[in-house]
Amino acid sequence: MVEAYPPSESSASSSNNSENGRDDAWLQADQDDGDDFGEQETVQVISLLDDKVFDDAVAMIKYCKDKYRFDFLAIRDNLGLDFYGQVKLINYVRQNVHEGREVKGESITAKDLEDDGLLKPVLEDDALILCLDELPAPGAQEKKDGKAVAGADGEAPAVDQLLQKNAQLQEELERLAQQFNNYRLAVQKTLDERWGEDDTKAAESSKAKGAVSGDEGEEGKKKGPEEATWYFESYAHNDIHETMLKDTIRTEAYRDFIYNNKNLFAGKTVLDIGCGTGILSMFCAKAGAARVLAVDNSNILDKARENIFNNGLDGVITCIKGKIEEVTLPVDKVDIIVSEWMGYCLLYEAMLPSVLFARDRYLKPDGLLVPSHTSMWIAPVSDEEYVTENMSFWRDVYGFDMKAMQEGTYTNARIEHMPTDAVCGTGTGFRMLDLHTCTPEDLVFTEKWQTTLSDKVESLDGFLVWFDTFFAEDRNEKIDASLTWKEWADAGRERVAFTTGPFFKQTHWKQGLLLVDKSKAKDIKVTPGQKLSGEIQYAIPEGHHRGLNIKVTWGAEGEEKQSQMWLCH
Amino acid sequence: MAGAMDIEAAETRLKQLDHSEQHYFNSYNHHGIHEEMLKDEVRTRSYMRSIIDNKHIFKDKVVLDVGCGTGILSMFAAKAGAKHVIGVDMSTIIFKAREIVEVNGFSDKITLIQGKMEEIELPFEKVDIIISEWMGYFLLYESMLDTVLYARDKYLNKDGLIFPDKATIFVAGIEDGDYKEDKIGFWDNVYGFDYSPLKATALSEPLVDTVEMKAVVTDPTAVLTLDLYTCTTADLAFSCPFDLRAQRDDYIHALVAWFDIDFTACHKPIRFSTGPHTKYTHWKQTVFYLQDVLMVKSGEKIECSLHNRPNEKNKRDLDIKIEYRLDTPDPNRQAEGTCLYKMC
Repeated sequence: MVEAYPPSESSASSSNNSENGRDDAWLQADQDDGDDFGEQETVQVISLLDDKVFDDAVAMIKYCKDKYRFDFLAIRDNLGLDFYGQVKLINYVRQNVHEGREVKGESITAKDLEDDGLLKPVLEDDALILCLDELPAPGAQEKKDGKAVAGADGEAPAVDQLLQKNAQLQEELERLAQQFNNYRLAVQKTLDERWGEDDTKAAESSKAKGAVSGDEGEEGKKKGPEEATWYFESYAHNDIHETMLKDTIRTEAYRDFIYNNKNLFAGKTVLDIGCGTGILSMFCAKAGAARVLAVDNSNILDKARENIFNNGLDGVITCIKGKIEEVTLPVDKVDIIVSEWMGYCLLYEAMLPSVLFARDRYLKPDGLLVPSHTSMWIAPVSDEEYVTENMSFWRDVYGFDMKAMQEGTYTNARIEHMPTDAVCGTGTGFRMLDLHTCTPEDLVFTEKWQTTLSDKVESLDGFLVWFDTFFAEDRNEKIDASLTWKEWADAGRERVAFTTGPFFKQTHWKQGLLLVDKSKAKDIKVTPGQKLSGEIQYAIPEGHHRGLNIKVTWGAEGEEKQSQMWLCH
Repeated sequence: MAGAMDIEAAETRLKQLDHSEQHYFNSYNHHGIHEEMLKDEVRTRSYMRSIIDNKHIFKDKVVLDVGCGTGILSMFAAKAGAKHVIGVDMSTIIFKAREIVEVNGFSDKITLIQGKMEEIELPFEKVDIIISEWMGYFLLYESMLDTVLYARDKYLNKDGLIFPDKATIFVAGIEDGDYKEDKIGFWDNVYGFDYSPLKATALSEPLVDTVEMKAVVTDPTAVLTLDLYTCTTADLAFSCPFDLRAQRDDYIHALVAWFDIDFTACHKPIRFSTGPHTKYTHWKQTVFYLQDVLMVKSGEKIECSLHNRPNEKNKRDLDIKIEYRLDTPDPNRQAEGTCLYKMC
């Protein structure tokens, strides 16, 4: 792009204008400067938008702002233009005016000013360019405006205005991104058919990727914890999305709820947080949503955009890249938030706080969260075969003692889908999260649990943790923690809910298996029919905010309890 | 026991690495991967036999174990009578290895050093034998071969030995219609939506999975042979034209690649293969789906070429190109294509 205007061309045109060679023109300018000092100090600034002439730049800019609502300083500050950027802006405006096109300040974007050819002055000896350093510094103007407004009507309208402007710009950017993407797709399709280009394409895409991840690296540095970057990068690959999409329990639950409740979605504005490949957004669009905002901070969003375009839904769905806490949405409020935020043991990966943030910031007071409720369950496990298979291995590895490797098996939650008959007692639904009302503080808790052991119990090998997910059509629905997904879904008319538990088909979440470290735990006698009780605690480990610590205490009723802690990370 | 300070220092060093490098080393910090590797009997037994059954080679030798992990190969070497073994690994798994070496009574025979081979200092100027299990998927993906070659050039005695010392990549054509449909065709219709952009990605990502012998339609052909004594990192970028001859009338949906590993210094050479014709290994095989489905008749040849180079940005990733041409008298079966793959 830079090469589009080779220096020779611009020098050629400037020499045309000045009838001297380039070097002479420079000499001339120097001489002129000398002359200026002697003869006159006044400058003549020609208006950006018409022929009027002013004595100084500030007056001209004020005139343009008042008469044409063209705010040079605001554009400069919005786009963060440096000296050259301002020169380009001036020439861009002058060029358009010169060619008789209307110039609207609010529609000028950084992209418009990318062309280095714009450094070439449209007006010879443009006094405005020479006066740029006399203009008020960025921020000064804002303060002034802020004061004026504050004096009249408080500060709120100014902030609102800025936010609105910001949203407008964001939307504009998104529109351009989409346009560019469509263009890119068209180009790519042409290229795909021509094998000869493939090498270049690979080189280009690797370059593009480099640039993107470079940005992310920098962001990671800025934002502190590198795990954030990793978290989002880990979702940039296909296989994780393939796994999630092929998890039919998960995906079909969302699909069924959305398609069975088209009345809820028709004409509504929906926000999809962590949209991934865009599947939930497309369900919502198909169900009649007027507008869907699909937000994700992973590079998978580029694929989502293509998917949405290929399915002809780009008119309804707007993709926005970024963290939900940081992006500015083009709307103030949404009717529905849909998100698939659940992690292992429900809360591992800690995406829920972002959803709650978005709920508080964007959801209308009567808006709906999809899903609406999640509950957490615990049950005791007895599976001798599993334990021996996994533990005895380290005792003798090709003749060596490797018990040192066992450590993690008891300190980490294992993600396994356990057979139904490994569960050796009744389960407890220990926590129900009503997503419309819960707060981040509700995600750190201690709850009571209990079980009545069944005849499957041989020894108490550990505990299994899983969650149920509910899709209520009404935000006022109350669901008791002890109600299973099935009891709720089957009651009365058909409703959508699913479980990740051991009594139904496997999901990609499997269950969290917490193995009791029998070298440390007190061996308690277990018999069928016996009752155990205790507490379960969810906490966030220090320095690892996407991790999860689960502590369980247990013991026979009325007897002393023991406890163990497991980490998810 | 590893001091908490050591672990902390190691973790600080890890954090200073590039993201991709960090990920690479961190992924080896988890137990699961070591469990999988140790439980891979083909792999571990081959190393065990090539070391323990060759005590005459290891006796009183100084041995360097590159990427020692849990220390299993170092302990094999110590058991085989090595004078001293130095195990080097960047991953913090090495602190577990220290515990393991201690409980097995090898602390005086084995020195474990946490760090990058290129940055650490060895207690010996030269070593007699290098042992290493450096192989990645498709032999070269995320492989440690460059580190082994660095260690060879810097530390190995002139007449020193390398275990293993030869590696060969093979390729064959396979009939894989059902699985291709499941992995690639899936993206054509995802809950009623066109997901073809992800199909393109899926096609460009070689699939690490097991292939049944009966799926193999052509003779296998070697596309790369590495002699560990002489090869250089430049050899890891290679191009190889080759022919695949069909053994029967069938369809070909993909090429499958695997590798064989040789310990030729042994009294009786030991070799193991990761191919579809033999026992499972954790490396499985690597499947490259083709754009076309080729219809081949017994005895026909598919002209192919495979080009591999480490990715410029992350040298542990691979950029792979496969070209194929089926020239038949029947114009309907003529096929020609080029596929680009990225292992990352």
